[in-house]
Amino acid sequence: MSWTWFHKLGSPKWFFQFASRWSLGVFLSGVVLLLIGLVWGLAFAPEDYQQGNSFRIIYIHVPAAILAQSCYLGLGVAGFVFLVWQMKMAPIFIKSVAPLGALVALIALVSGAIWGKPTWGTWWVWDARLTSVLVLFLLYMGVIAIQNSLEDKILADKAVAVIGVVGLINLPIIKYSVEWWNTLHQPATFKLTEKPAMPMEMWLPLLISSLGLYLFIAGLAMLRMQTEVLNRERRSSWVKEEVLKNGI
Amino acid sequence: MTYFSFTKGELLTLLRRKQDTMNALIFFLMVVILFPLGVSPSPEFLSVAAGGIIWCAASLAILMSVEGMFKEDFNDGCLEQWLVSGLSLPVLILLKVSIHWLIVIVPLLIMAPILAQMLFLPMDIFYVLLQTLILGTPALFLIGTIGSALTVSLRHGAVLMLLIIIPFYLPVIIFSTGAIRAAQSGMLYDGQIAILAAISLASLVVSPIMSAISIKASVS
Repeated sequence: MSWTWFHKLGSPKWFFQFASRWSLGVFLSGVVLLLIGLVWGLAFAPEDYQQGNSFRIIYIHVPAAILAQSCYLGLGVAGFVFLVWQMKMAPIFIKSVAPLGALVALIALVSGAIWGKPTWGTWWVWDARLTSVLVLFLLYMGVIAIQNSLEDKILADKAVAVIGVVGLINLPIIKYSVEWWNTLHQPATFKLTEKPAMPMEMWLPLLISSLGLYLFIAGLAMLRMQTEVLNRERRSSWVKEEVLKNGI
Repeated sequence: MTYFSFTKGELLTLLRRKQDTMNALIFFLMVVILFPLGVSPSPEFLSVAAGGIIWCAASLAILMSVEGMFKEDFNDGCLEQWLVSGLSLPVLILLKVSIHWLIVIVPLLIMAPILAQMLFLPMDIFYVLLQTLILGTPALFLIGTIGSALTVSLRHGAVLMLLIIIPFYLPVIIFSTGAIRAAQSGMLYDGQIAILAAISLASLVVSPIMSAISIKASVS
């Protein structure tokens, strides 16, 4: 297997050119998929025999919850990559993805609360999953806070990488600790190893909207990373050329 | 500088500056006092909640005492000396945390029986509380050290550090109060105690390395 793609990722210039070709396409296809998934799920998918129409918020809630975890996974891996290989792109990735992760975690929390009202009768319960998403949200806020508070940019990059890695180790512990602590939530909707318990017409739009949100967030992250690359590399000659040639 | 002289120096500094440790302990006491005053002084409530109250107070007190751990060393240039001393930075950090832990945990354990009496905690549950405190607090110190090392260069880093570190404290608090609750309802609590020990051991591995990375980044 060739590792050139991995080494190329370390170069902001290469990434910028790669992202400027792909980011808009990824973002727009994310928007389209998300729209298809949401319209299908919210308007055409069959009603749940128990929860009626209120279950439809699943098409927002589950993708957001999955993304909240995936973003943190990516953030932690990037932190590890930065601490071990000192790749320039890793902190740029962390900085761009952290606010997006916080946003999807917040969406998951709010949509969960709205869903909880008709099904459980309360906005909030101290249940394992809700609490672990709340903690996840707090972790994101911590990453954002330390990124913003440290004036020294090199130190800030190191700091978020450290927090990301420690969080990555801690995340399963937090997840399982709250799971043993208290559980009311239904088990995970998607399991890779098992056949979904929902009928096809219900989980297909869910799959589409999840994929759509993935692409949406990936596109947004790439756009944000491009900005960050331009900002960090503003003294280098290729940025000057790029800006003079293509504008900002 | 050798490991021995380092340990001796740290120990002497802490022993001669008792006020810092005292402050953390007084803070611990005050947080505990808030609960009977703020929630309910009835023995029925307190005897159930005592474990949780003592654990929350202990976590906050430990955060306070860990927060300024490297501040002095950063300001007077000791951290640079550690870096150029040729000794292993993670080991130095581990020594420093261990000393801090020892200096804070011993008076805290001495205070614990008194507080347990004040909060009407039954004696047999108190022994469970002691076990959780001894096995769980190393994790709190070690995780706190990372935050302290990260924010050492900031003038007002305390709030930021609390913000970052408290989420990482949750598993420790959950398992220790879980053990106490299990003991209160007459169930086995060995599992929770074992997990607490495991979290402490895992932090023992991760924390010195991560703190060393942060200190190196903060100093240079």
